[in-house]
Amino acid sequence: MAVGTFLEALREALLEEMEDDERVFLLGEDIATYGGAFKLTQGFVERFGPGRVIDTPIAEGGIIGAAIGAALMGLRPVAEMQFLDFISCGFDQLTNFAAKVHYRWGQPVPIVVRGPGGAAGGGPFHSQSVEMYFIKTPGIKVVEPSTAADAKLLLKAAIRDPNPVLFIEHKGLYRAPALREELPDRAAVGELGRAAIRRDGSDLVIITYGAMVHKSLEAAEQIAREDGAQVRVLDLRTLQPMDDAAIMEAVRACARVLIVHEDTRTAGLAGEITARINEQAFEWLDAPIRRVTALDTPVPYNKNLEAAFLPQVPDIVRAARGLLDY
Amino acid sequence: MKRYPAYEFPEYVDWRPDPAVQQAFADRLVADPARAAVIGALDREALLSLYEGLVRARLHDIHLKRWVKQGVITKAWLGAGEEAVTVGACAALRPEDVVGPMIRNAAACFQRGMPMVECFAAYLGTTDAITQGRDLHIGDLEFGVVPPISHVGDLVPVMAGCALAFRLRGEPRVAVTWTGDGSTATGAVHEGLRMASATRAPFICFVQNNLVALGTRGQAHFTGDFADLPAAYGMTGMVVDGNNVLDVYAATVLAAERCRRGEGPVLIVAQTFRMGGHATHDEREARELFPPEVFAHWGQRDPIGCFETWLVEARGVAPEALSAIEARVDAAIEAAAREAVSGKGVREPDPATVAQGVWA
Ligand SMILES: Cc1ncc(C[n+]2csc(CCOP(=O)(O)OP(=O)(O)O)c2C)c(N)n1
Ligand SMILES: [Mg+2]
Repeated sequence: MAVGTFLEALREALLEEMEDDERVFLLGEDIATYGGAFKLTQGFVERFGPGRVIDTPIAEGGIIGAAIGAALMGLRPVAEMQFLDFISCGFDQLTNFAAKVHYRWGQPVPIVVRGPGGAAGGGPFHSQSVEMYFIKTPGIKVVEPSTAADAKLLLKAAIRDPNPVLFIEHKGLYRAPALREELPDRAAVGELGRAAIRRDGSDLVIITYGAMVHKSLEAAEQIAREDGAQVRVLDLRTLQPMDDAAIMEAVRACARVLIVHEDTRTAGLAGEITARINEQAFEWLDAPIRRVTALDTPVPYNKNLEAAFLPQVPDIVRAARGLLDY
Repeated sequence: MKRYPAYEFPEYVDWRPDPAVQQAFADRLVADPARAAVIGALDREALLSLYEGLVRARLHDIHLKRWVKQGVITKAWLGAGEEAVTVGACAALRPEDVVGPMIRNAAACFQRGMPMVECFAAYLGTTDAITQGRDLHIGDLEFGVVPPISHVGDLVPVMAGCALAFRLRGEPRVAVTWTGDGSTATGAVHEGLRMASATRAPFICFVQNNLVALGTRGQAHFTGDFADLPAAYGMTGMVVDGNNVLDVYAATVLAAERCRRGEGPVLIVAQTFRMGGHATHDEREARELFPPEVFAHWGQRDPIGCFETWLVEARGVAPEALSAIEARVDAAIEAAAREAVSGKGVREPDPATVAQGVWA
């Protein structure tokens, strides 16, 4: 067992799946010779050859479409978007082709479309949270891990899943030293559709995912230190399908709910979670549900503006205290 | 011009004219009679202004590299070695025309008269730039520059649309953009070219074929010939030596004339080479993508060295006249960069304004 970063965990998952299943292959821009924009697939082409690690043209629609076709012919393609912002160019293939195949004619489309998302100083076109475009489309699973171990476990699960899976990797986590941990061994595979409690507590639950898990944990620690309240942090991990059972269990246990996401506010996942809680567990609430999200603007380039755009730990602490005092 | 060993490609640092390459440069100028006539009509002032544009573009990039080295910025996307494609094209346009430069064509911004300070400030994210720190891509319609987005290819249909507006209003204006060789794979480029072709818009699209896309040789994903594209799209086609500013200039003049006469869009394939990295961070890796002979070949075709030599040898321009231009441009760039840096940490956008301006 080895210790690794979030990025190394992803690399290990790809490597092991490719070794264990010859149907698995990679396609994307600059992933072979160059080893990927983030060097995630460095050494892969040397190891597996250009037939299984394919440098594609700059054509996201072509990449996703070809992945669909290869999957229909029995392969297990893993397509990389160099930055998830560029998935917009492949939107049609994913939402109209891949997502509707099984419903229309019962054929599974086991593809993974993965890549770096989230804000880390890249400006309006290298920072976006793209999940909601796809969560709203029935037929696509959406996964976003927050820890290195989960990155490995869930990417393996995504590759083995018979559905199209959008796998979102927050680029700010890739090399974060704090996320280095012991990685699960080869035989372990995660399960899609299950949330995880990252910190237990029963005074308030923060429902969150991706990089915001870590800011939420920081906020929870601060509240424990300064206010003595115990905040539960629920990491969704899979955003579609969502783990309603874990969410409702948390609502029943904590009675106060704060939802935190890096995505913009309007039509962000918080709205959907709120509606589900209203439908399934309203009577357990002691306070209105609140959310801390990014602002409804493009992601700005300047670092001070980006910081103002993103949810910050003090924002989470403030909202949590508002709920605890409610 | 002066060379900068700390910042320039080795082939440029020790650059000396090669007689055979210079002969080919000169031959190119007379290979096509129509282009030869355009070039022949250039007076000394026009020639020196092309030189000035090339030098400004190069010194701008060198300055950005200096900033990277000093830690002012983390990386920069450069057009060094490919300046002629941008400068030659812009010099052929009129003030009322519009251009849509990719980041590698940043020289188009200053060619069109945008203040250098703004171009530098955009990188710094300060309020000295039109984007007020919201994006590093810049343009300004006041100067006829439409800024790109990161998504490559997306400018092509947009610029075709600018051209369509000119056609609809019967204005003798043209819209110009550049797409990299790699970016021709996008749906957007294809759709944009089809739109331009279908609407007979006064649109000029360069395919800036620098033989590489990010970290992958062009040959790895395209074995066709870009020169075949114009015919396939029903557009007028031209091929230019992208390292010969006069060839680019002359072809663009002829293309723009066609456009203004209502003869429809033109696709110009410019052959050039990316001497550096995709950006400053991967220059070393980029050197491993091609054998050293390729760098030697294209290094000898430095668009500035070749043109400078031609100006002196074929046009009798005194080297002192060229160094005077260089000194002037250098001083202006130094001043602009200094001014831009002085805004760092000072003229920063106010975080309280972050939510403003989403809506018009
Ligand atoms: C739609 C889209 N996909 C991927 C990228 C990432 N990317 C940025 S530049 C680039 C390579 C562009 O190559 P080319 O078009 O040849 O232009 P060059 O950089 O060589 O000037 C890539 C893949 C992007 N910006 N947009
Ligand atoms: Mg290129």
